Amino acid sequence: MVLTFFDTIGSGILHALDTAGDFAVLSGRAFAAIFKRPFDGANLMRQFQAVGVNSIPVVVLTGLAVSMVFAVQLAFGFRQFQAEGLASQVEGLAVVRELAPVITGLMLSGRVGSAMAAELGTMQVTEQIDALECLATDPIHYLFVPRLLASAIVLPLLTAIAIYVGYWGGYLILVGVEGQSAFVFSGEFYKLLAFRDVRIALTKAFVFGMIIALVGCWKGYRTQGGAEGVGNAPTSSVVTSSLWILIADFFLTKLLLV
Amino acid sequence: MALIDVVNLSKAFGPKVVLSNVNLQVEEGESLVVLGGSGTGKTVLLRNIMGLLTPDAGHVAVEGKIIAQLTREELFKVRQSIGMCFQMAALFDSMTVFENVAFGLRRHLEITENEVQTRVEECLSMVGMKGTEALKPAELSGGMKRRVGFARAIALKPKILLFDEPTTGLDPVMTDVIGRIILDLKHELGITSITITHDLKSAFAIADRIALLFRGECIACQPPEEFKANPNPVIQQFLRGDADGPFLQDPPPPKRKVKEAHA
Repeated sequence: MVLTFFDTIGSGILHALDTAGDFAVLSGRAFAAIFKRPFDGANLMRQFQAVGVNSIPVVVLTGLAVSMVFAVQLAFGFRQFQAEGLASQVEGLAVVRELAPVITGLMLSGRVGSAMAAELGTMQVTEQIDALECLATDPIHYLFVPRLLASAIVLPLLTAIAIYVGYWGGYLILVGVEGQSAFVFSGEFYKLLAFRDVRIALTKAFVFGMIIALVGCWKGYRTQGGAEGVGNAPTSSVVTSSLWILIADFFLTKLLLV
Repeated sequence: MALIDVVNLSKAFGPKVVLSNVNLQVEEGESLVVLGGSGTGKTVLLRNIMGLLTPDAGHVAVEGKIIAQLTREELFKVRQSIGMCFQMAALFDSMTVFENVAFGLRRHLEITENEVQTRVEECLSMVGMKGTEALKPAELSGGMKRRVGFARAIALKPKILLFDEPTTGLDPVMTDVIGRIILDLKHELGITSITITHDLKSAFAIADRIALLFRGECIACQPPEEFKANPNPVIQQFLRGDADGPFLQDPPPPKRKVKEAHA
C-alpha cells in the first residue's frame, strides 16, 4: 500500500521530468536551428500571414472588448469614492502593462498554438514528418523555426495593436459613456506610464510568442495515436501554453518591474 | 562490400520483440523483396535502415557507414542517397504534386527553377503521372498518391529505393501497374532496392532475392526460384496463402464445410 503510493508518486515525478526534459531539448534544438541553412523565406512569410495578419481581427475585437469592460468596472469602482478622474490613468496602466500582452497571448495560444499542434500532429500521424526526415530535412528546422520566429516577432506587434485598440476602448466608455473630457482622457491615459512599461509589454509578448510556438509545435510533434491523438494535441497545447503564459507573466512582471 | 548491410539487428517495443538478430546484405543494383505477415517487423526493418529508429542491438550500415553512429548532418547526407516510398505515400498535403516532387530538389540542389521543373516532369512521367502537377494530394486516388510518392523518392536520383508495402490496399489492376513501375525504375535507373510487399506476383517479378521475416527473424533469403522450392513449411504456407500451418501463432478458426444446396 505504502510502496504503491510512493511508486505512483515516483513515476509521476519521473514522467514530469521526462516531459520537461523533452520540451527543453526540442526547444533547444529549435533555437539552435534558427541560423541553419537553407533559409526558407517563403515558409516564414506563410507563417507571418497565419500567425500575424490573420490574427488581427481577433486581437482587435478582444482588445476592444476587454478594455471597454475594464473601463466600465473602473468607472463604477472609482465613482464609489468620487475619484472618476483616476479611471483613465488606471485604464492606461492596466491595458499597457497587463491586458494587452496577456489577452493577446491567450487569444493567440487558442488561435495559433492550437493550429500548429493540429497541423504538426496530423503530419506526425500521417508519416509526413518521417517523410521530411527521409528527404534529409530536419523537421525542427523546417517546421519549428518559421513558426517560432513568426510568433516571437508578431506577438509584440499584435500587442502594440491591442494597446492602441485598448486606448480607444477606454475612450469609448470613459469619454463616450461616462462623459469625461476627451482632452483629459488622452492626457491621463499615459500619465502613470513610462516608456519602460511599453518595453515590458513588448518583452512579455515576445516571450509569450515563443511559448505559444514552442508548445504548439512540441505538442504536435509528439502526437501519437491517430485521430484521438490529433484531437488531443490542440487542447493540450492551449491548456499548457495558457498556463505558461500566466506563470511567465507573473515572473516577468516581478523581474522587469524591479 | 554490400551496399546495405543489416547485421544482427534486434528491435523491441516494450516487451514485444519485433526484430531478432536479422541479417541481410543487399548488393549494389540488387532488388531484395522482403515478405512476411503483418506485424513481423518489415516496416521496422526499413525504418532502421533509414535511421528513423535506433536498433536495440546490431546495426545497419549503408555504404559502410553505420547509421546509428552518424551525426544528424552525416545521416542527412546518407538519406539524400536513399529514396523512401511510404505505405500511404506520406505526401505533404498542404503542397501540390509539383511542390511535393520538387521539395528535395529545392532544398538540396542549387539548381534553377527551370531545371527543377524539368526534373519534376521527368520524374512524374516515369511513374505515369504527367499532367497532375497542379493537383493536391487530396485530389488523388490511393494508387496515384503512391506513384507521386515514387516520383518524390526518385527526384534526387538516389542510389537506393525503399518501398514500404507499395501495393497494399490497391485493386489488382493498380497493384500490377505499381509492380510494373517498380520494375521499370529498376531497369531504367539500375537502383538498389528493398521492397516490402504482400503481393507475391509482383514480388517474384521484381526480386533478385526474396527474404521472409517470421516472428522477427529472417528465415530465408534466396533467389525467387530457390525460395519457391524451399521446403520450409512456413514458406510453403505463406506461398499457398493457407490459414492452416505453423505461420500463425493462434490457431485459425476451423474451416466451415459448405452445405450442399437442397435440390
